[in-house]
Amino acid sequence: MDKKAFKYFNIMQYREEEEYLRSMHRSGWKLVRISGLCIYHFEQCEPQDVIYKLDYNSDGIRHKDEYVRMFNDCGWEYVQDYVGYSYFRKAADDSSGSDDIFCDDESRLQMMSRVFKGRLLPLLLMLFIVIIPQLVFGIMRGRYVIAAIFAVILILYAVMFTWFSIDYRRYKNSLKK
Amino acid sequence: MDNHIKKVYMPMTETAFYILLCLKEPNHGYGIVQKVEQITGGAIRLAPGTMYGSLSKMEKDGVIRFVREEDKRKIYRITELGEVVLQVELKRIERLYKNAQEVMAHG
Repeated sequence: MDKKAFKYFNIMQYREEEEYLRSMHRSGWKLVRISGLCIYHFEQCEPQDVIYKLDYNSDGIRHKDEYVRMFNDCGWEYVQDYVGYSYFRKAADDSSGSDDIFCDDESRLQMMSRVFKGRLLPLLLMLFIVIIPQLVFGIMRGRYVIAAIFAVILILYAVMFTWFSIDYRRYKNSLKK
Repeated sequence: MDNHIKKVYMPMTETAFYILLCLKEPNHGYGIVQKVEQITGGAIRLAPGTMYGSLSKMEKDGVIRFVREEDKRKIYRITELGEVVLQVELKRIERLYKNAQEVMAHG
């Protein structure tokens, strides 16, 4: 039996996503693939405790063979890439190697900064090149509908960036403890 | 030596230390993971995400260099700059150890 689920995680919520996939597998639903807009496809399986981990490494995606090879060597099964993230899993009772794909806080923070650079910088560029100019032109030329649309996008941006920076700070602080 | 190298490698993470130490002989990422597990008696298990990120970063920083590829595994080796950085780190650890011994012996 198969099952599809829509589930949204923002780009800083990969730890929540890992927990979600783990709990699904524990209740007998194994991730097959993720497609479209956050659609998770599962197939029924024997309930098992399987650790899921996400990495964000564009370098790795460009050199897929050796990247996946490294994870396979360390006992991790590669599932797929989805919008910049690579998905790996490993049975929790598999005692070979480590239970995490990162072994120090330095590399955990480096992954977060790769997420920032890969996903947020392009958005910031868009903000300054497209959204703010369109908003200003819209107002100057009296095209208020266009101005309103871009004003809404601007607000969405503000909410999103605030959300991300709170997440990032919180994580960074949790590492220091 | 530029400031970036000083900032990142003086002192360096345990992961970077073991990578440099193991790459005195040409080796690939998984080879390093195995060797570190062996010499630390299983106490340190390097993880693949950390390894992959560290190796590409250290190659960019010029402390290790790519030698060849074998069976989809990239083989690296320490560079001269890497040797210098490793020596500085070893001296630092030696000093830490000596200071600790002295303080513990004499209070």
